[in-house]
Amino acid sequence: MSLRKTIEVVNKLAERGAIQRYAIAGAVAALNYIEPTLTEDLDILVSIAHFEKHQSGLLLLTPIAKALADLGYSERTDVGFMIDEWPVQFLPVASALEEEALEGAIELDIDITGDPPLKARVLGAEYIVAIAVKLGRLKDLARVQAFLDARAVDLVALKSVVERHDLMTKWLSFCAKAGIENPL
Amino acid sequence: MEKPQSRYPDISDILALKASGRRQLAALSFAEKLSILDALKERVKPIVQARNARRQRQAQRLSARA
Repeated sequence: MSLRKTIEVVNKLAERGAIQRYAIAGAVAALNYIEPTLTEDLDILVSIAHFEKHQSGLLLLTPIAKALADLGYSERTDVGFMIDEWPVQFLPVASALEEEALEGAIELDIDITGDPPLKARVLGAEYIVAIAVKLGRLKDLARVQAFLDARAVDLVALKSVVERHDLMTKWLSFCAKAGIENPL
Repeated sequence: MEKPQSRYPDISDILALKASGRRQLAALSFAEKLSILDALKERVKPIVQARNARRQRQAQRLSARA
């Protein structure tokens, strides 16, 4: 079991054209900026161009499922596709905020001694925080707090994203819950 | 009679050490943090398995009642 291997498989999906634009989101993306916290899955934000659209309007993951099966990964559970024991959720872009986040994702080199170099696309810090503020669950707000504590987010950039996507009310609500003065 | 006032220890040094530990973890490379997540997941595996088994039993009980 290794997340590195899981990310390698996601990269293979991109190489095969099953997904095109993608970025790691959620707790694993947050790893790039703050201390590790336990998570049970890997979230991959994907452009909706990669999804088949059913007549009902539902988005289908058929091309991704087919490509994964070709690579030997056919197990699918409630929490996502199982890739090297990590459940992976492919999340279609569902808002202008996520579209912008995907567009501005950064490319990382993951170097582990002895392994061939691996690249991964990860959401920018201000977008991880803005998406967490938008979702507003307790675990998301804890993540926002961790970014602020670690000074891991550019507050000017964050303010711009929060204003552009009408999240100021939610941001102020987070500040009230966290008992902090608005740092933006 | 006046209630004796409780005295609590000063734990600011413990909190400062915890904060320093978090900063050290945050400063690790992405690759190192991925390995930590793998290890964390492995560590909680028995708990997750037990939770899933409990949920399955609950679902079976509910469907048996229906």
